[in-house]
Amino acid sequence: MFHFDTLSTVFIALIILGVIPNLFYSFGYLSHIQRKTHYLIHYFAFIFSMLGVVSAGNALVFLFFWELMSLSSWQLILTEIESDKTIKTARFYFFMTHFGFLFLLMFFLVVTNGNLEIGFAQMKEIAATFPYPSLLFFMLVLGFLSKSGAVPLHVWLPYAHPAAPSPVSAMMSGVMLKVAIYGMMRFLFEVLYPWPLEWGIVILIMGALSALVGILYAMNENDIKALLANSSIENIGIILIVFGMGMIFDSLHLKALSSFAFIAALFHAFNHMGFKSLLFMGAGSVLHQTHTKNMEKYGGLIKSMPITALTFLLAAISITALPPSNGFLSEWMVFQSLLGSTHIENMSLKLSIPFAIFALAMTGGMAIATFVKAYGITFLGLHRSTNAKHAHEVNLLMRLGMILMSLVVISLMVFTPFYITWFDKALASLGHLSVIHEIFPEGILNMHAIGMKGGIVSPLILLGALLLITSMMLFAYKVFDVKKRMYHTWGCGYRTSARTQYSSAGFAGPVRRFFGWLYKPKESLSKENVADHATKFSDANYTVEVKPLFEVSLYESSKKMTNLLSYWVYRLAHFEQTRYAAMIFNLILSVLFSYRIFSQEFSWATLLIEVIVMTISIKVLVIGEKKNKGSLR
Amino acid sequence: MILYITTIVVLLLLAPLLLSFIKSLKMWLLFKRPTSIFQGYRNFSKLLSKETIVSEETSAITTYAPFLVLSPLLVTMFFLPPVVQGAFYVSFVDAFTITGLISLSTFFLMLLGLDSASAFGGMGSSREAFISALVEPAMVLTVFSVSMMAGDLGVGQAGVNLAAHFPKEHMASFLFAGISFFILLLAENGRIPVDNPETHLELTMVHEAMILDLTGVYLAIIETASSVKFVIFASLFVSLFLPFGYTYAAPLAIFVFIAKLFGVAMVVAILEVNTAKLRLFKVPNLLGIAIVFAFLSLITFYVLGA
Repeated sequence: MFHFDTLSTVFIALIILGVIPNLFYSFGYLSHIQRKTHYLIHYFAFIFSMLGVVSAGNALVFLFFWELMSLSSWQLILTEIESDKTIKTARFYFFMTHFGFLFLLMFFLVVTNGNLEIGFAQMKEIAATFPYPSLLFFMLVLGFLSKSGAVPLHVWLPYAHPAAPSPVSAMMSGVMLKVAIYGMMRFLFEVLYPWPLEWGIVILIMGALSALVGILYAMNENDIKALLANSSIENIGIILIVFGMGMIFDSLHLKALSSFAFIAALFHAFNHMGFKSLLFMGAGSVLHQTHTKNMEKYGGLIKSMPITALTFLLAAISITALPPSNGFLSEWMVFQSLLGSTHIENMSLKLSIPFAIFALAMTGGMAIATFVKAYGITFLGLHRSTNAKHAHEVNLLMRLGMILMSLVVISLMVFTPFYITWFDKALASLGHLSVIHEIFPEGILNMHAIGMKGGIVSPLILLGALLLITSMMLFAYKVFDVKKRMYHTWGCGYRTSARTQYSSAGFAGPVRRFFGWLYKPKESLSKENVADHATKFSDANYTVEVKPLFEVSLYESSKKMTNLLSYWVYRLAHFEQTRYAAMIFNLILSVLFSYRIFSQEFSWATLLIEVIVMTISIKVLVIGEKKNKGSLR
Repeated sequence: MILYITTIVVLLLLAPLLLSFIKSLKMWLLFKRPTSIFQGYRNFSKLLSKETIVSEETSAITTYAPFLVLSPLLVTMFFLPPVVQGAFYVSFVDAFTITGLISLSTFFLMLLGLDSASAFGGMGSSREAFISALVEPAMVLTVFSVSMMAGDLGVGQAGVNLAAHFPKEHMASFLFAGISFFILLLAENGRIPVDNPETHLELTMVHEAMILDLTGVYLAIIETASSVKFVIFASLFVSLFLPFGYTYAAPLAIFVFIAKLFGVAMVVAILEVNTAKLRLFKVPNLLGIAIVFAFLSLITFYVLGA
């Protein structure tokens, strides 16, 4: 029933590391929640179900806990019903998660031959005899990646994660997404093992798209929790990029590179758990104090909430992959595995990997912009609203939660070799090559890349050097005892006020304009001009709204398609009898014609005549006169 | 080891000189009376002796960020390729670490801009964020391409390898990577056509806007940081793309290296005199050129082997 191997323990550890700080935070946050019992029951069910998923030993248990996880998180989204939007969001989440569940169920029914209680090893035998393994792969992809929010199955995520109470958002983004990655890993490794090359490429492309799309929408977001949720899509994308790389290397028999890539994927999963939980906790604390998610109403919170601000800064540095943080180390590993593509023989594949490198590097740059914005607008400058002015530091339990989580992040930074050794063991237990001696050939200080000569990083030395030089400069500054005077910021002769600062929407302006083809922003500007001057105005209001492209193109247009289709079905059901007769006549005609085409000899001339005859008869008899063209929709 | 320390000290001392040299050369080319090329040192000592004025609107970020802007760059100075054959160099740092350290410095600079609560700071940060987001992919691809030609990703080792064996057989892709890197040098250091370091006009400034509210020691630190950044990029360009004169005896080799740095500075100055600053939304076109050249370099390397 249950199954504990190294991979399971790795993910159990991930869940526990994510949950323990969250527990403290959650109890601190509890005063903010009205339906306490409802919240607590589902909160613990959620934790329990995630642990169940990663330790399940057969399909039935796995599916049971998977469903429990979905349902409890669905109820957690509904803890605080602020508006109809929350209910709509929860419904969307419910639909998407069961969309994925359906595919998982189909997958398991196929690979278990209907007996859901058999172990993974037997599943592999059955899957090996199944003639269409790619079908199974796509079921897995749809099942798990709809949960982890990879493009194009991500549309629900920026709505669902922010709607939950902050500790739950932290857990959903930080931990639950990784459980889906666990599922991918477990069943790809143990059930569908020899992978064709194309599967890895599919995952790589999905990853690169997710990374770019996620960060671009995060950049343009003014709701701090939605910003973080979008950045989760980006990070899942990064994990999938390197996961896909690992699959590609494995199918090309570059085993050492493949192991390195999977270690990078696991490491980034851990790191994302750490910093994203911490960021959501910070956002939750800010939300707790200011009662708004709108970043335009924040500002200057570093003065009143120093601990939140400091932990948020740590997480921001880590998520933007700046050295010597843990985020940098995992992103470094991702880059190194992409650079390992020099060993690929296939020229077209080798030439297309640089595009993934481009996507990843672009994502890195955009992530810096996004988190400078998130940090700067939220914590720096002047208070942008009275709510922000009255904010003060959160209670002890919440602070403790954030501090514990930052300890997790720091431990991931300092004890990297330990974690990597462990990930290596997990992969070795799944039958992959152990590469720990190639990554750390000369002790734990220097981390080597596989595949590219000279790819070395030494996190501890970097950390030490940065700390040493910074503290030396600070010491010199103290020793010289520079005279310091306080004065207002220069505002061109005007007084500096909260209104003169750059806003969040303004900060994202250049990016929004450059990627206008993607965002298609709806802008509106209204001004009260003074005495008919074109440039002088007393009051101005600028709003910009960006609707996610994927939501518009994939989801809403499929909604429109269904509407159109049902309209035609409706029309068909309400025809006059003569129309039905005409349709039957046309059907017979087409059957006769196609009989002639398929079984008699074929000639283009008669085909042309037949097509013309068919078209005329359909036009005249079935469609008839179109009376009111406009009322079709 | 002595050579290693000497080169770092020499490069650090040289840093303000290079920027002042560019400035006075530009003035000379424009038929103005040039300022002294030692103006950088004068500014530095003047700023050190002045009192620091800190905005009341700012927070702890302004107190610490200037140090955090400079320190990653100072750390990077220790990781540059060797100037003289046989000198010590750091072998455990690769190009990604260097780009990361430079981004770390930019990150704190952008926070510094937002901390002063002035519209200028936010504007500068926003523009810098936009430009550096687009610089990043070109940088990574160029680094990738160069590291393949050098046969090593480590910056120090790559410099040594390129000096020992100039990649004549890969001249085409080497040239493309060089062009791309030079554009990045201009963009990262805020030179014309990406940013004008001399203007204080809100329409055009990027880098200056972020530091508008600093003075005294803090301004001295930031100015030092920008000159150190220029030295880092110039010496990376020189050791990776102009790797000659490395085998000479120590004093001569250092002299040749410095002469090459001044050569780069001269090219930058001449370019600045002859081009206009681009509008902010034309900057992506220039960076697009850098990205395209980086891709071209990779593709020619892979497909043609040239």
